[in-house]
Amino acid sequence: MQTEAKKTEQHAEESVKAINLISFKDVAKIYSGNPLPSLAGLNFEVADGEFFCIVGPSGCGKSTILKIIAGLEEETSGEVVKPDKVAMVFQSGALLPWLNVFENVCLGLKAKGVSNAWMKEEAYKFIEMVGLSDYENKYPRDLSGGQRQRVGLARALAVSPKVLLLDEPFSALDTGTTEELHKDLIKIWKTTKKTIVMVSHSIEEAVSLAGRIMLMKSGKEKNIYNIELPYPRRELEADFIHHVQTIRKEFFK
Amino acid sequence: MTNQNKHIHRYHRHMSVSYAVSLRQRLYSFVLVPILSFILVFVVLSKFGGQGFALRESITWGYVFSALIVTFARLLLAYVLALLIAIPLALLINYSPKIERILFPLFDVIQSVPVLAFFPVVILFFVHYNFYNGAAIFVLLVTMAWSIVFSMVGGLQVIPSDIKSAAKVFGLTGINYIDKILLPAVVPYLVTGSLLAWAGGWNIIIVAEVLHTYIPGGSGAMDLFGIGSVLVATSASNNQRDFLMALTGLVVFVALMNFFVWQKLLKYSEKFKFE
Repeated sequence: MQTEAKKTEQHAEESVKAINLISFKDVAKIYSGNPLPSLAGLNFEVADGEFFCIVGPSGCGKSTILKIIAGLEEETSGEVVKPDKVAMVFQSGALLPWLNVFENVCLGLKAKGVSNAWMKEEAYKFIEMVGLSDYENKYPRDLSGGQRQRVGLARALAVSPKVLLLDEPFSALDTGTTEELHKDLIKIWKTTKKTIVMVSHSIEEAVSLAGRIMLMKSGKEKNIYNIELPYPRRELEADFIHHVQTIRKEFFK
Repeated sequence: MTNQNKHIHRYHRHMSVSYAVSLRQRLYSFVLVPILSFILVFVVLSKFGGQGFALRESITWGYVFSALIVTFARLLLAYVLALLIAIPLALLINYSPKIERILFPLFDVIQSVPVLAFFPVVILFFVHYNFYNGAAIFVLLVTMAWSIVFSMVGGLQVIPSDIKSAAKVFGLTGINYIDKILLPAVVPYLVTGSLLAWAGGWNIIIVAEVLHTYIPGGSGAMDLFGIGSVLVATSASNNQRDFLMALTGLVVFVALMNFFVWQKLLKYSEKFKFE
């Protein structure tokens, strides 16, 4: 009796866990003036708390997915379920050059109209989390590329989003910086338990970060891979290389 | 313990930062500057700048200086009015492609017609209401507004799309979007547009103050006092010493303005440039 009750409890817990935060059903997106659809009947789901990565050749519609989730674009057809509260980290950083680090991080909070005290507390919490405590008065032009992405990350986290969207945030950075940011991103993901949807052009990056990887081709999902490797993942380990190879084979097929 | 102290220290250090300052700055630039310049201009123009200008026998540096101040007041008033018209106009053009499609070709045509072509008609209108300064300021305003509108529209068009996306994702809409994204982003373009506007203004002042040539049967008594009319009158009366004094005054004034205003503003606007 008792064990059964426990079982159902466990079951219930699991089904709660399995609730999808994001779901795309047969989603198509056609941009006006472009004959080829950006998305052509795409299906996928992202569960709460997941680190989900989308890879694929350029022009396959990766960024369109993020734009739809962020509310920057509307799907042409299909069904999209997404949370209201999303935040995004951009490839270019998209920081405002006339605001310092603190003010940039406050951008979303300011728009929400929260109290000044709360705004400061939140902003400093996340500035500290991304490791920029000594840079809060610096301007974007005084920061390195990696530091700018950290500011973008803090700005996104500060609005306490349900989903964090990352649009190739590390593609313009050198290898060392990227590695450091990967480590910190995993740490942040684990402490904040945020759902992350990231677009990347690098299979290695996807395998070293994500729990699940969706490989795309011409506006459709081609394959979804589960990566069940412990963190920190090392690029030279056999399992890691195996995953990369498997995905790469499909990628170039 | 020390870590906690560091924390508290940090929170306190920031209790008075930046947003309050920028609000005050905005108050200065959008409320105080226009009001003060209007007051200044009305005092100066009503005391010294009325029509009925007659050239003195032999001019002094003080006389040149007062002419410069009166002209400067006229330009300042025209500039503030030009800003008040040009900024909303540029935002409107940027807001809707439809409006842009209608207005832009129209602007291109109007802009290409020399402002002086409108002048006689405008003058007759203002003279009818005995508002001579109005005529001069109107012409200056029209000259100045174009370069501000076109520079600002250009500036709005080159805002990176990532920045616009970020603004949308982080919930900056309406007035917030204009105030926190669009206006700061066009500061460099507003500065260069303003520089061009003032250059055009100084240029046209030579004609804008010498009203009588546009009025049928007009006389020097209809001219407005200012450096433009002094230059014209001294050169017409072939008084080389006085003409050179007036010209020197104008050159020095413009050079000082370049140094103390435009150089500073150009440097300040660097801060607002995207990389």
